[in-house]
Amino acid sequence: MTDVRVPETDPFDSAPADSGGQPRPGPGSPAAGPFGLADWLKWAWRQLTSMRIALVLLFLLALGSVPGSMLPQQGNDPAGVQQYYTSHPALAPWLNHLGLFNVFAAPWFAAIYLLLFASLVGCVVPRTFRLAGSARTLPPRAPRNLARLPRFAEYATSLAPAAAAETAARVLSAHGFRLRRPAAPTAPAGTADSGGPEAGDPPGGQEEHWISAEKGYLREAGNLIFHLALLGVLVSVALGGLFGYKADRLLVEGNSFADTQSALDEFHPGRLVTAADLPPFTITLNSFDASYISSGAQRGQPSSFDAQVSYTAQPTGPVRSARIQVNHPLSVDGASVYLIGHGYAPEFKVTDARGQVVYNGAQPFVAGATGNFLSQGVLKVPGAQPEQLGFTGVFVPTAVDIGGTLESVFPAADNPVVSLIAYAGNLGMNTGTSQSVYQIDTAGMRQLAAAPQLLRIGQSAKLPDGQGTITFTGYRQWVSLAITHDPGQLPALICGMAALGGLLLSFMVRRRRVFVRARAGQGGTTMHVGGLTRTDASGAFEDEFASLAAELKSAHQQAAQDQAAPPHVPATATPSEGE
Amino acid sequence: MFKAPVWLAGRRTVVLTAAVLTGVLLIAVLVAGWATGGRSNMTEVDGSQSAVLYTAGHRPVAPEFTGTTLTGARLNFSSYRGRVVVLNFWGSWCVACREEASTLASVAALYRSSGVDFLGVDVRDTTASAEAFARSFGITYPSVTDPGSAITLDFTAVVPIAATPTTLVIDRTGHIAGAVFGSTTYPVLTTILAKVTGKTAAVAVSR
Repeated sequence: MTDVRVPETDPFDSAPADSGGQPRPGPGSPAAGPFGLADWLKWAWRQLTSMRIALVLLFLLALGSVPGSMLPQQGNDPAGVQQYYTSHPALAPWLNHLGLFNVFAAPWFAAIYLLLFASLVGCVVPRTFRLAGSARTLPPRAPRNLARLPRFAEYATSLAPAAAAETAARVLSAHGFRLRRPAAPTAPAGTADSGGPEAGDPPGGQEEHWISAEKGYLREAGNLIFHLALLGVLVSVALGGLFGYKADRLLVEGNSFADTQSALDEFHPGRLVTAADLPPFTITLNSFDASYISSGAQRGQPSSFDAQVSYTAQPTGPVRSARIQVNHPLSVDGASVYLIGHGYAPEFKVTDARGQVVYNGAQPFVAGATGNFLSQGVLKVPGAQPEQLGFTGVFVPTAVDIGGTLESVFPAADNPVVSLIAYAGNLGMNTGTSQSVYQIDTAGMRQLAAAPQLLRIGQSAKLPDGQGTITFTGYRQWVSLAITHDPGQLPALICGMAALGGLLLSFMVRRRRVFVRARAGQGGTTMHVGGLTRTDASGAFEDEFASLAAELKSAHQQAAQDQAAPPHVPATATPSEGE
Repeated sequence: MFKAPVWLAGRRTVVLTAAVLTGVLLIAVLVAGWATGGRSNMTEVDGSQSAVLYTAGHRPVAPEFTGTTLTGARLNFSSYRGRVVVLNFWGSWCVACREEASTLASVAALYRSSGVDFLGVDVRDTTASAEAFARSFGITYPSVTDPGSAITLDFTAVVPIAATPTTLVIDRTGHIAGAVFGSTTYPVLTTILAKVTGKTAAVAVSR
């Protein structure tokens, strides 16, 4: 990514063009002669660091991220991947070979990322040196014929050429231009590294009076900031990927959890993170409040979520309280704890056929897409004897009987009802793979009653065949917490802002040059003022040049007047005129 | 004489510097990514990292804790000092725990006379479910409740407990001598106990 809008031979590129106008050697260019390994490597490096390739890589990076959001990802949706395998048995293994179920860990994604990184580094490092060089480089000499420049003004002044040049230099300097002037006429040609008579100067070493002025170096600085910041964004994202982590935990009111891997529902560590790096905090959910709009067109829409928690940053540390709200995470020991979901956990008490209490607790149910928090869940009672018991259920927060079916008309639990179907048999929990607490495998079970059993809080139901009883004892709410640590987040934000700032700077600031020549003519001096900028679509430079030329002219007029009128003798020096 | 050449001569160096810098960065990133630490203070029991014996002198100190048992009694872990303790982190909801439960019950009975105590840590559970679990599998040793994983957190500071179940064998001096990450089996647990107590299961039975 060498330069943004600069043609190969750019008059503004103060560093000499590396190619020197010659065609760049490349494979297949016969003029380049024998093309050795070193040349190939050089060519490859030049290609990699070119603007074109960087843009292609950036585009590929964006393109590569697309399957990450279109297809279920192993990292955050393993169930979705399994689902995809079942629904697309032929396609899924191929997608898996291509790493499309784990895009951001795929080798090809890393390759794009690292190449882009290399491309940016290969571009930014020389650019930094070049900027440092250009900061020290003076503007070029004034061209001989300023009338050929895009902007040109001409006027006459009675000042001598040397004095006129001096005045022009003062004006331009006051406008923040960097100046270059002819070397001292006494210096022998060739000893100074700048200035000196130009080729084509009038013979006889006639003294020249010109000013070269340049402005807008911030443009290059902006460009550099943009590139460095882009690099910073990449580094920040890599930092997050290496040292960050993301974890999820569902927490029922009244319960607590410790931030340790076995207590987390999901844990996705970065490449260089282990479970030992988790900060050892503990969070207790004291209560959760969800408010909903109770009337109007927005009825049922949430108006606020508020989780009141107490936490300790260290196992033996003091207990603090905090409130976690949407977009107001709890920050504890470098980790941010976000509130990302909530729901109802109906509480049940189950006794088995032998009269033993085999379950007494809250079971989180998950709201479906139908709204108003009609929630579904399962209850597994593996400890029931002689047969294990299982239930599938629906929790209806505000139940209304509409045409024989229960529907929830409001998300708050104003009239909670559960509807349960009971099963007895083998839950399949004593051997085999671990199970989701939200799913029940009824393959080894039989349904105890055909119709679902409706229960209000405090109501019990006897299970058929003397299998026991189930009581709906109440409900609690649960929250889903996301625990994230991304050390690259703040740097990425800062770099992103810096990149934008740098880009704006490089767009808004233009490099522009103004040249002034003073030539002795008949009865005074002819002033030539020329101006040049790279692009001037908005015409801003045209205006700037016009006002600058006008200012120069008036400065010269003023100076000429001052010169013509002899200095006034101060009044105090003429005592004879005193009163 | 000094026109542009100063810059031109430097350009090759700059490009070279950039290339070297990039290379170094890439290598650093890759090495960092592939870095894996080897551990020499433990030996594997059955050829996998899921069951390990800590070398004497490198055994982590088991943290102290107090808790409430499923039956409501206070339990202070320091009262077990001087005895070998099998500390089993479990939950009634956990399939692998149900899988290993009868093994634990029978090994506990087997080693009782050899001065080995079993103690459960019931993680993320409710008392009714946990008691039903103990009844189902005939588990008679006590369990402390750890609904908020606080005890688990303390132990995670010294052994990498990643999931439930995890079984730790703690020696008479209160150091962790062996660990089984995941469901334990009869051969694995008895191998570890034989090392720690100096008595094989067969000897334990005959006494």
